[in-house]
Amino acid sequence: MDKIQLFFKTIAACLLLLLPQYKAVAQSGMDIRINEILVENDSNYMDDFGQRNAWIELFNTAYNKVNIGGMYLTNDHSNPTKYPIPKGDPITVIPARNYLVFFADNHPTRGILHLNFDLRGSKYLALYDVNGSTLIDEIAIPEIGKDTSYGRQTDGGLPWVILEKTTPKSNNYTGDPPNPGQEFITYDPFGFGMAMIAMSVVFLSLMLLYLLFKNTRRLYALDLKHVFARKQPIASEEDNLDLTGEVNAAIALSLHLYRNELHDNEATVLTIKKVARTYSPWSSKIYGLRQYHK
Amino acid sequence: MYLCKLEIDMEASVSYFDFVIKHLEQFFSYTAFANFTPGHAIMIAVGLFFIYLAIKKEYEPLLLVPIGFGIVLGNIPFKPGFQIGIYETGSVFNYLYFGVLQGVYPPLIFLGIGAMTDFSALISNPKLMLIGAAAQLGIFGAYAIALLLGFSPSEAGAIGIIGGADGPTAIFLSSKLAPDLLGAIAISAYSYMALVPVIQPPVMKLLTSNKERLIRMKPPRAVSKTEKIMFPIIGLLLTAFIVPSALSLLGMLFFGNLLKESTVTKRLADTAKGPLIDIVTILIGITVGASTQATTFLTLKSVGIFVLGAASFVIATTGGVLFVKFLNLFLKEGNKLNPLIGNAGVSAVPDSARVSQVVGLQYDKTNHLLMHAMGPNVAGVIGSAVAAGILLGFLS
Repeated sequence: MDKIQLFFKTIAACLLLLLPQYKAVAQSGMDIRINEILVENDSNYMDDFGQRNAWIELFNTAYNKVNIGGMYLTNDHSNPTKYPIPKGDPITVIPARNYLVFFADNHPTRGILHLNFDLRGSKYLALYDVNGSTLIDEIAIPEIGKDTSYGRQTDGGLPWVILEKTTPKSNNYTGDPPNPGQEFITYDPFGFGMAMIAMSVVFLSLMLLYLLFKNTRRLYALDLKHVFARKQPIASEEDNLDLTGEVNAAIALSLHLYRNELHDNEATVLTIKKVARTYSPWSSKIYGLRQYHK
Repeated sequence: MYLCKLEIDMEASVSYFDFVIKHLEQFFSYTAFANFTPGHAIMIAVGLFFIYLAIKKEYEPLLLVPIGFGIVLGNIPFKPGFQIGIYETGSVFNYLYFGVLQGVYPPLIFLGIGAMTDFSALISNPKLMLIGAAAQLGIFGAYAIALLLGFSPSEAGAIGIIGGADGPTAIFLSSKLAPDLLGAIAISAYSYMALVPVIQPPVMKLLTSNKERLIRMKPPRAVSKTEKIMFPIIGLLLTAFIVPSALSLLGMLFFGNLLKESTVTKRLADTAKGPLIDIVTILIGITVGASTQATTFLTLKSVGIFVLGAASFVIATTGGVLFVKFLNLFLKEGNKLNPLIGNAGVSAVPDSARVSQVVGLQYDKTNHLLMHAMGPNVAGVIGSAVAAGILLGFLS
């Protein structure tokens, strides 16, 4: 029993180790992030009307498209539903890992991407979910210079920094993105590291399967009533017999032969006793035949 | 008047003649003859050789006939722009090739493999799983050599997976890591899978002594239905939690096996292991074959891939056989494993297990190793999918 408990504890420990130590990522409106803002636009990104105004870039961190129609943008703590993003417009569907830029110009009549507030003097910016109360993302706006944007160092990530370049509708990180393959070639040019790590993981996966299935028969032999009653079942030698297919086939054949030897359902029995046949006209053939007139 | 009419007639006939010539020339420019290069001839010859191997020698005919015919098909020269070729957006072959490029076909094939595979040999003797892990050495050996030859890490990872001896996994991984090399990798993987009976026996004989080849293994125990049902469920949970990047392969493999072993979804299992896998095999074979157009295929890289493919099979076989010998150091007499089943750790199911049986019978006519070799063989399928997941996780 101790061994069984130890086995269960080991499995539980393994599963705990395997559990991800980070938050699972949902693919929904909660994946939208305020990604970059520019407050004083003097010679920067222009809108469709040729005007330069403050802009706010949202980024979809999910790997599927997300519709932000019905969500709210605000620069006012006390009014979370200040600008409702219109529903049913294809512009509000942000493709996977993509961007949408709103203009904070206080000209909502210019289209759905033009907000009913501007960022002059604003210290706060937030995005609320469609219910108007669930906060999706918020930032405190610091003092930012003219034509300089404040954004996440990497798209959707942290920290927030004054960006070297303004990057509306494109990656915030403008350097060479880290290439995992290049890292391997730098630190592991001969592939030994990869071989060691990968072979260890392959072995670990199959080792876990091996350990589990090595003990499965003990699990099936487990009498749960006895486990919960905390009684010590004495495993007999027969229970632990490692019967091969050949042994089982031999047992099955023996049983089959034994059952055939029983003669308990014989169709006919050879005997020297005289069989008594009592006469009955119902079984007489003569009465079943048609009688012709001679 | 008459002369004038004659001149007009002559002019008309000349312009008509020009018109016919022009269109005949145009027609000729569309034909394969006008676009033919020696490369096309070489590739068509390769395709015909594959078909010959499949039909005459019966080397993996279900794969080599579609691939061979696909190679011939893909190397019929044509004038681009008519949505004919496999790389031309909108062509029929391009649509069919989508399943290869996006990794749709390999998981469907794994579904069928799962529905066909009996894991009893593995469940009855679970230590055979470790052989399936050891044989994956071929993948990482080939990866290291590919790096030395100057391939990029992503390309090296895609090439290395050939050592897993698993066509669908090779296609799946190369479609993600090195789509440009997909054709060469797939052709190399399937070619060497077909050549398993040629490549593996010399390595197996070289690494084993006569005494080791005669080891008789304990017959496998009977496996209960519950164990068979639990295997795909537990197998999925354990492996996919460690390598979620291989989820599409492992998930479909174990799902197919559950369909089979549950015995209550016989129709689904029959479809998965019958019509479905047949359809997908046809599509994957013909499109992978057709993707080997001479212009993109006949390069030095392709030659390198073929050399590395052979090396990876040799390393994988070596890894499997030596690992069994290593295991035997710790096993009691009577429980020892025959090292001739080590080669089966590569996942060419069931060809490599058959090689174990054939080589084993050469030394002892009554020592049947097939069932024992099926254990590491199916473990190799799991192992190579896990290895693919690791490479994908690291290099993509």
